[in-house]
Amino acid sequence: MINRVRNTVLAIINKNNNGYITPDEFNLFATQAQLDIFEEYFSNYTIAIQKVNARVAGTGYADSLKRCEDVIDIFMVPSATLTFASGVFPIPQDVYKLERLNYNGRTNVDKISQQKANNLLSSDRTQPSKLFPCYSLAGYSATVYPSTIQSGITATYVRYPADPKWTYTVPNGSESPFFNPAANDYQDFELPLSDEMNLITRILQMSGISIREEEVVQAAKSEEVQDKQEQ
Amino acid sequence: MAYITNYEYYANNGVGSESANWGSYQYVFLKDIVNNFELQFVGNDKLINNVDRHTIIFHAKRGIQELTYDALKSAKVLELTIDETLKMVLPPDYVNFIRISLEVEGVLFPMVENKQVTFANSYLQDNNNEIIFDLDGNVVEVTSQLDMHRLAGDTQKIYNGPGVYNGYYGWCVNGDWYFSRRLEIDPSTANRNVTYNIDKSGGVIDFSSDITGMNVVLEYISDGMENGDEALISINKLAEDAIYKHIKWAILDNKFGVPMYERQEAKKQRRAAISNAKIRLSNIHPSRLLMVLRGQGKWIK
Repeated sequence: MINRVRNTVLAIINKNNNGYITPDEFNLFATQAQLDIFEEYFSNYTIAIQKVNARVAGTGYADSLKRCEDVIDIFMVPSATLTFASGVFPIPQDVYKLERLNYNGRTNVDKISQQKANNLLSSDRTQPSKLFPCYSLAGYSATVYPSTIQSGITATYVRYPADPKWTYTVPNGSESPFFNPAANDYQDFELPLSDEMNLITRILQMSGISIREEEVVQAAKSEEVQDKQEQ
Repeated sequence: MAYITNYEYYANNGVGSESANWGSYQYVFLKDIVNNFELQFVGNDKLINNVDRHTIIFHAKRGIQELTYDALKSAKVLELTIDETLKMVLPPDYVNFIRISLEVEGVLFPMVENKQVTFANSYLQDNNNEIIFDLDGNVVEVTSQLDMHRLAGDTQKIYNGPGVYNGYYGWCVNGDWYFSRRLEIDPSTANRNVTYNIDKSGGVIDFSSDITGMNVVLEYISDGMENGDEALISINKLAEDAIYKHIKWAILDNKFGVPMYERQEAKKQRRAAISNAKIRLSNIHPSRLLMVLRGQGKWIK
């Protein structure tokens, strides 16, 4: 998808000799555009839930909640094993949203806030146990209670999408870069195909600002507004 | 698929205690209650959302405690031999007693609770009646005279003197004799068996006297918390709905912004479910009633 998106962007920008963006610039814009759309799925998910609760959501193909879930699930890491080190379980760096920790596969580890940790640990009724373990988070480290748990922890989380990279080669005697999907660092967009237009629009916006072409920015913005109204 | 195989039920898969799973089908365990509640009652499209699991666990345990006191009535029974201190230490999961009996050759003789005080704490005092403290500033406690007399069994003696009370038990205090008047006897305590008094703060049952070396059977209720072993905490399935309704009401009742009608509705559902559970658990069925009613044809002579 990334080559098609780049070609479309270049085609639109070059149409009126508006300018040219380099592969590195394109990769930067593509990363930002993908992140924007990725995060938008979470706000759309919240809106979809509100629609369900207001009984205005549809089912089947009109089920926008399920559509959001399906896309978010692309980025779901179901069970990443965490390794105990220095009293904590370090969390992977690519975590966007930590869904839950599991102990021995099936037992959910409940998240508690740092403020409540002491109260909970000294509580006679809700003290964490191996049956009902808890964890608190500080930065990228999870402290699991009871402290006797030092293994068997896995994380289920939504990761950030990988940064897209349009890789290329420049043949001898040519000034134009040629697309090379065989490169080791090649990375396509991870969003579904239905987001292609959305990606093009956002990259165009950023490209327009970069090459100081107000017309490109305005055109991309009006396209984005129209997209949102259709949703 | 069955929850457990028949082999596991009857023989515990040949591992450990054979009876571990006997009767287990009657109960639903705390872990399942919490898991089912999270799954079925908590969610974006449910009445309850954004609730911590420890909150559910807390209300589940409180609900089990309340149901254990009111509806379940599953008594525990403990037999212990009483030593010369005439005390019985309350069991670790004791909450309240139902009955205390003396066991003699397989027959239970119910004892009567003595409402009057039969035990006391006592502080060590000097000749000027000043309280004596130890190096840490704490009072030095000693056995009270009341306890010593009770342990010695010399609170009552047989009066061998002139008058109508000759041969009766009485109390001799400073040379004067006191007797309980037979016509004004308190029927609630009219029992020839040993009496007892529960020292709740001390965590013991004090007996009057004369039962050293004898067996006492304590029937008591617990709170269903199984001494804190969460894996064992369970509730009868007949009360399963009641516990879900209790948790739901308790959470809604403490959550900010929940309309009063929702709280009231949850409260009504809880009450109805508990009442249903009580009726079910009371085990009233025709054959039992029939057995009781058969007695009505008996002539009272």
